Amino acid sequence: MTRSMDLDSVAPDDQIEVKNRMTVSPKIEEVEVLKETESETKKIRETVDSSEEVRDKIYGIVGHTKSPLSSLLINPHIFDFEERDSDEKIILVARPHWITNLSWILTTIVLIIAPSLLRFVPIINNLPTKFEILGIFAWYLITFAFSFEKFLSWYFDVYIITDERVIDIAFNNLLDKKFSEAKLSMIQDITSRVSGVSQTMFNFGTVYIQTAAEVSEIQFELVPNPEKIIKVLQILRENEEKRGGNK
Amino acid sequence: MFNDLNGYLMLAEKIFAILGSLIYFVFALVVVKQVGTMSRNVRDKINSILISVSYLHLAASILLVFLAWTIL
Repeated sequence: MTRSMDLDSVAPDDQIEVKNRMTVSPKIEEVEVLKETESETKKIRETVDSSEEVRDKIYGIVGHTKSPLSSLLINPHIFDFEERDSDEKIILVARPHWITNLSWILTTIVLIIAPSLLRFVPIINNLPTKFEILGIFAWYLITFAFSFEKFLSWYFDVYIITDERVIDIAFNNLLDKKFSEAKLSMIQDITSRVSGVSQTMFNFGTVYIQTAAEVSEIQFELVPNPEKIIKVLQILRENEEKRGGNK
Repeated sequence: MFNDLNGYLMLAEKIFAILGSLIYFVFALVVVKQVGTMSRNVRDKINSILISVSYLHLAASILLVFLAWTIL
């Protein structure tokens, strides 16, 4: 039984007049809107397919890692940054190669050993015990602060590649933050430089990204596998060009 | 006379140690603040550990001030 849409104005026994559906022809405007929606959906589907394809390609090049301390994070699930747009997807996060931490780690080891070596210095042996206790405590605290600050500088110095832009977030010291970005479509030229014994041995170097944006150059400093990062950027640029052509 | 001089020296050392530890305490506060800011900017798995470590460092700096005040 056909039910009325307006139950307040129609009594249960009233005959409800139903328009024959076959006779109602859709307006031309509605058909056009439907066609547009269909084509938009098709475009979105194509874009999603192509972006997934691009991401698969990238994972094929760079590989996967789950360690949060890794110098290259691929498609990180937990990693995020303040300036990210809600629909922006992080493709790759790079930090300077772990070997760049070696100098401060060695310095820290020397600083840890130093108080035991100072016992052989006669002047320090003559200090009252309370001064010695306080001195050693302060020494280790300063050593810890030094290594912690160095670790923070490395850990929060990140280079991010998203599906829309490349970003450089750097904290040069505890009180200085630098944020620079460039759209993928703005990238003009990418070069890399691997120089010196350690960089050649451990395969890390600096990637220079020339852009047409306000920031003329973004540098990914001392990142591992610079050639892979260049390849990833090339794929993303090609994809961006295709997307631009489709629009 | 030497006892007086020694006493003045000890007092000067104590004041110097307390001032130094207070400056260090301010530095530890800056570290806590800055780790918080960095963690807000870049969010990752171990951020909560880093924030905890910065607070432990702050606690150690308070202990340093306390030690400088009491044992010297």
